[in-house]
Amino acid sequence: MFLKSVPFAAALSLAMALPALADPVLYTSNPVPAYEAVQAAVKAQAGVNLGVITGGSGVLLRRIEAEAAAPQSDVFWSSSANTLGAYEQLFEPYASPALEAMMPELRYPGDLFLPGNLHVVTMLVNTDQLDGQEAPKTWADLADPAWNGRIIIADPANSSTGYTIVWGLSKLLDEATYKAVVANMVISGSSSNVPKGVAMGEYAVGLTYETNSYAYVDGGQEELTLVYPADGTFTSPEYAALVKNAPSGEVAKKTIDALLSKEAQIALLEVAFRRPSRTDIKVSDYVALPEIADIKLFALDEADAAKNREAFLAAWAALPKAGDVE
Amino acid sequence: MMTQIRTPWFWLTVLSLALLGLFVLYPLANILTASVIGDGPNGWSRLMDNPKYLQAIWNTLILATAVTGIATLIGVPLAYVTARHSFPGKGLIALLPLITLVIPEVIAAQTWLMMLGNNGLITRALREIGLRLPSFYGWFGLITSMSFIYYTYVYIGVVSAIARFDVQLEEAAQSLGTAPGISRIKVMLPVIMPAVLASALLVFTMTVGNFAISMILSHRLPLLSVVTYQAAVAEGAADITMQSTLASVSVLIVMVVLFLNRWIVRRGKYEIVQGRGAKPQPLRGIKGAGVALLAGLVVLISLLPLISIILGAFTASRGPVMQWGNWTLANLERVFVTAPQPLINSLTYAGIATLISIGFSAVVSYLVVKKPNVLTPFVDYVSAIPLALSGTVLGVGLLASFHGGWLPLSGTAAIIVLAYVIRRMPFGMRNGQATLHNIPNSLEEASISLGVPPVASFFKAVLPVMLPAIISAGILTWTTTVAELSASILVYSGGRETLPIQVFRLIDSGLMAYASAYGLVLVAVILIPIIVAARVFRIDVFAVK
Repeated sequence: MFLKSVPFAAALSLAMALPALADPVLYTSNPVPAYEAVQAAVKAQAGVNLGVITGGSGVLLRRIEAEAAAPQSDVFWSSSANTLGAYEQLFEPYASPALEAMMPELRYPGDLFLPGNLHVVTMLVNTDQLDGQEAPKTWADLADPAWNGRIIIADPANSSTGYTIVWGLSKLLDEATYKAVVANMVISGSSSNVPKGVAMGEYAVGLTYETNSYAYVDGGQEELTLVYPADGTFTSPEYAALVKNAPSGEVAKKTIDALLSKEAQIALLEVAFRRPSRTDIKVSDYVALPEIADIKLFALDEADAAKNREAFLAAWAALPKAGDVE
Repeated sequence: MMTQIRTPWFWLTVLSLALLGLFVLYPLANILTASVIGDGPNGWSRLMDNPKYLQAIWNTLILATAVTGIATLIGVPLAYVTARHSFPGKGLIALLPLITLVIPEVIAAQTWLMMLGNNGLITRALREIGLRLPSFYGWFGLITSMSFIYYTYVYIGVVSAIARFDVQLEEAAQSLGTAPGISRIKVMLPVIMPAVLASALLVFTMTVGNFAISMILSHRLPLLSVVTYQAAVAEGAADITMQSTLASVSVLIVMVVLFLNRWIVRRGKYEIVQGRGAKPQPLRGIKGAGVALLAGLVVLISLLPLISIILGAFTASRGPVMQWGNWTLANLERVFVTAPQPLINSLTYAGIATLISIGFSAVVSYLVVKKPNVLTPFVDYVSAIPLALSGTVLGVGLLASFHGGWLPLSGTAAIIVLAYVIRRMPFGMRNGQATLHNIPNSLEEASISLGVPPVASFFKAVLPVMLPAIISAGILTWTTTVAELSASILVYSGGRETLPIQVFRLIDSGLMAYASAYGLVLVAVILIPIIVAARVFRIDVFAVK
């Protein structure tokens, strides 16, 4: 059996080892509906099938780094500047014509990274799990000990969402309030567990981007509401980038153009609730989300957040949190 | 030594060792060396300085011990009653545990939370009558969910050993005046012990390497696999010191356990001469109902995730929100019509990988057990190494080793097949060795003394006796290969998604309905060969009858 199967298997493996067709490949941590919308836009505008590899953004960036000698991917689409900043050498700038329609404040220096959409931090609140408590209206409300163990957030060490939120809270709140809020938090190793945990009623409040939360509200879970904190919330542009020496060459650039196109951004807004980075799309025409101008924002310095990452995470690790193991 | 070199077995050993060296040792070496070299203080001193890492190692050892103990306590009695008795509902009970093997662990963890989480059905029901369960996040959840998944490996490993156990030994013991119960334990236990230990070893290593459940249920309880992953994410590919050190720790833990396992098996050698299996004794009345009820309960608990997959696959949804009670075929239409590529990929890659694994592990376990030479202990150790490697470590190692260079495999389907074979070949190997310990050497010696050359004797005399074991090992390999996730998710390339990868992506995206549909098809893909083996070829693989 062994002797017979070897030549057979060897022949098959050789046949499979031949390179796949020169279709572009996208590395992303984005969910299925989001990348399917992009695949459809790429098919329609560039006429090619976009292959997709998904994984945590850290894992994918590492993979691009490992593949630097012979890249397997063309486009990376995930993460905010505070995570991508450390991997600038893996990408090359691309001045896509679509950039003209972008909000200027979202553009990255040198157009090394291109803004694909804009994330807004929200609280997802499960009103069935409030136990008579009033729903929080501000970040400071979360300092109340009544929320102990009932707030879930993604681990800032592994998730750029978690990092953006905690970094923002440390800037927005005074130190005592910040520590009290952190002390009420339960940390999840997986960022997709945050909205899921609140939707399942495991937690009363989940801190994550509106795109992740709103899918559950849109799905018809009436007990869930999005809270945009009155003391100001945080935004973070999500970037797409052209991988250095992308194997599919010009097609890779067309893929980025398609990802940034008005059609793709509208599709992303409709199916995945991704707030566009373009100025020519009115959000409320497509989904029941507030316009960005109507949300009170608290500005953050992403470069500062990237630079002080290590020190901040070390201090964060030392803070007591809910659900700590003794 | 010289006489050894002249046999074809010696050269087969050399060939096996060379293949293992290239595909197991070389990637491993790439990772292990990084724990001592690299920038800054070496990984081991950093490990000693950080109480969190030490705590994680300690917790992992406790968890693996507890899960192995409980899984053995569930699996061995279940195997015993199914192999030796018949009782109402036995057919189902003997078959169903296999399904738990293939339910993606992420779905299993999710289902357990639906039952026992903060807002779980059982948790709420108990709270209403004044009972407060401990939080499912942490020890309670980890031990419960893993035990009820991994007992299956003990069950499968032990059930065929008990079925093959020669009852004449037991009858002989009884005729010599030992009481039936005691004779059964005294005579049977040593013979099935290699199979029990092999399965327990498997459970222990799988718990140490478990990633999906640990990630979801451990929360703030540090565990080795989770801190390894976190170190890997934090470090990236430029400096792999800490992740390699932590990976090396899990390798060391498992090597120690493997060594103990071999030492125990070595101490007693048992061969069964004729192997007349026992005829299952019917259990009737209260006793039969009691056994059926207990066994049924165990199986039912482990099947909860499957039930949720079946319901989910036919339930309509809008985004992540399930519309329970609103049935649809749209989810399955997606699997077979709109996006069938993951199904096709899984069948192709896992099929090829299973053939290679089985061929290789049959030959290598034969070499190790029946034709030992100076090199076979090394073959044995090296072939067990993948057991100690988590899928993530293996994936990173393969990418680092076969990217570019003289063997550029990354970006091809071959690297997925390779990852499958390396990860799952030891499963067949452990079972193959346990089986071979029970095949007498005299069989082959007789064939050779009658003038049949050694290699031909292997094919004509030994292989037919091994065949049922090879087929059942083949099915075990197939089930675990089709369900493999953590290594393949690192090495796959665009358009080469497999079913588990697709399920994982969909669960991560919160789309339970689609995930359930792909999951259900995955379960079907795994069950069909088992049913075909049982019905068409009349091979009673898992002692169902």
